[in-house]
Amino acid sequence: MMERPMEDNLDNLFEFAEFDEKESEHIAAPRYSYWKSVWRTFVRSKVTIPLTIFVIALVLFALIQPMYSGYSPTVAPNINNSDMKYLSPSREHIFGTDNIGNEVWDVVWAGARNSIIVSFVSTTIIMVVGILVGALWGFSKKMDKWMIEVYNVVSNVPYLLLAMILSYVLGAGLGSLIFVMVCIDWIFVAYFIRTQVMIIRDREYNMASKCLGTKTFTMIVKNILPYLVSVIVTYISREIPLLISYEVFLSYLGLGLGTNYASLGRTISQYKSFMTGYPHLFWIPVLVLAAIAISLYVVGQKLADATDPRTHR
Amino acid sequence: MSPTIDREVLLSLRNVEISFDNGGKKKFKAVQDANFDIYKGETFALVGESGSGKTTIGRAIMRINELSDGEITFEGKRISGSLSKQEDTDVIRNIQMIFQDPAASLNERATIEYCISEGLYNFHLYRDEEDRIAKVDRALEEVGLLPEHKSRYPHEFSGGQRQRVGIARALIMEPKLVVADEPISALDVSIRAQVLNLMNKLKNEKGLTYLFIAHDLSVVRFIADRIAVIHLGRIVEIAETEELFAYPLHPYTISLLSAVPMPDPIIEKQREPIVYADATEEKTGPDYAMREIRRGHYVYCTPEQAAKYAENAEKANAQ
Repeated sequence: MMERPMEDNLDNLFEFAEFDEKESEHIAAPRYSYWKSVWRTFVRSKVTIPLTIFVIALVLFALIQPMYSGYSPTVAPNINNSDMKYLSPSREHIFGTDNIGNEVWDVVWAGARNSIIVSFVSTTIIMVVGILVGALWGFSKKMDKWMIEVYNVVSNVPYLLLAMILSYVLGAGLGSLIFVMVCIDWIFVAYFIRTQVMIIRDREYNMASKCLGTKTFTMIVKNILPYLVSVIVTYISREIPLLISYEVFLSYLGLGLGTNYASLGRTISQYKSFMTGYPHLFWIPVLVLAAIAISLYVVGQKLADATDPRTHR
Repeated sequence: MSPTIDREVLLSLRNVEISFDNGGKKKFKAVQDANFDIYKGETFALVGESGSGKTTIGRAIMRINELSDGEITFEGKRISGSLSKQEDTDVIRNIQMIFQDPAASLNERATIEYCISEGLYNFHLYRDEEDRIAKVDRALEEVGLLPEHKSRYPHEFSGGQRQRVGIARALIMEPKLVVADEPISALDVSIRAQVLNLMNKLKNEKGLTYLFIAHDLSVVRFIADRIAVIHLGRIVEIAETEELFAYPLHPYTISLLSAVPMPDPIIEKQREPIVYADATEEKTGPDYAMREIRRGHYVYCTPEQAAKYAENAEKANAQ
């Protein structure tokens, strides 16, 4: 019989709390901005800032230094001066000199410049073409039917063979090398993007957009690509160092840039015979290549991680 | 509820069949021979278990799924099959959808402002930027959200708030018919009533018509004017809400109603679910058709069954 009086008391003990309905809808959290969060996540890691500065400095230096050195592989001013050949690295000759009396310092940066230009330009073209084609390919079932056949054929042609034929036909220049790389690589990017688009194409929010009458192009720009920023940045961060190495590789085989262009690949190929006698000639260009490729890759990966909203905060 | 006969038909489905190609020789028929009318200003509910085809019908009306047979008309005009651009625009503006999962149906990378304005952008339904923003603000206010939410992203909202954004996005188009595909089943129980009340309020204010797709009968009883019960892609019973709950005739409806849990534990203990014995086998044949047993109460059955059902209804009425 204890319960009764207690129950009666409940009415006196409690009273209705007032609440503001508008206030309860209010969101107290600070405003979210995607790119601001990307930046915050990117700079959170201690390695990234010095490494980013290093990468930017390296790239800028490689782009600017050859303008001042005036190095050209077609001229060898010290070829008859035996005092200038095979010098070890020293204060006057930072990377030493090579078999024809050229400054290795100048040779390496001129080569790095061309590698970086080829890689950056072809990555840009490849990504733009690949994303455009891939987005439409992933969206259109009709296009998928024949594009997948094109992909099957193109992707099974040995890429080295393709590079050989194209570089013989087009000649060996900066432009034709970029063209060769775009020809080989764009379809892989397009295929990659197509798969990503297909994964999110039929999600409910895209169906909702369709019900609101949104056109395919707007859907790609507003609904699909924002979701792919992270995977695209990841792809770019792999692509740039890969294409630098690829330029080196093709030039090493004699398929890349012609003899009148400075090239890291051909430099390495020429210096490889001095590996035992003058090891610095071989190792310096290799290490410069590695420094550029690896630091670009690491910074790219950090950026790719930061663009993934799951890592925010 | 007023009688259903002399009211204006907004949407009607005739002999609708929707099948999916599953790679094999035999196509999978998700919906067969669906016939019903939705009258202007009513809430028409479609109930059935998972996989019965209720969402498929909703999506066919939204033209996401194509019909393999039959036709759908809206205000007397055919909206299934291929349409001209103008017809397409009209249908999109007049029929809008509220989706089941508010977390999945909003673009996570767009602000609320974009989400709500999307339809306005597509058909340029605003005079200038100012007008568009005023429309978005009004839409937000109508669903109980604040204008300051415009610059927020969907993931910052609760489930109920997101669903209200979804409602605002559909209603800014000023549609006549709203297809609500299980709009509250993904929501927390505590905010379901909030969303349902909002939907009812907006319906009365704007004179909307709802096609409400659900599997929760207690919700349907609260919101619907008429109910269609669908089983294995076939509509087995259509009646007004109270009529259906008072005189369920088709055995599937009876067993469906017996499965509704009671909120009172003492009554719940006595509740005996009736198993629908023919759940797996399809009950169909040349004799089967939708027959009117009582006024406005249709059941899918043979003439013999119809007589039996009428008798059962008579008995129940006498009690």
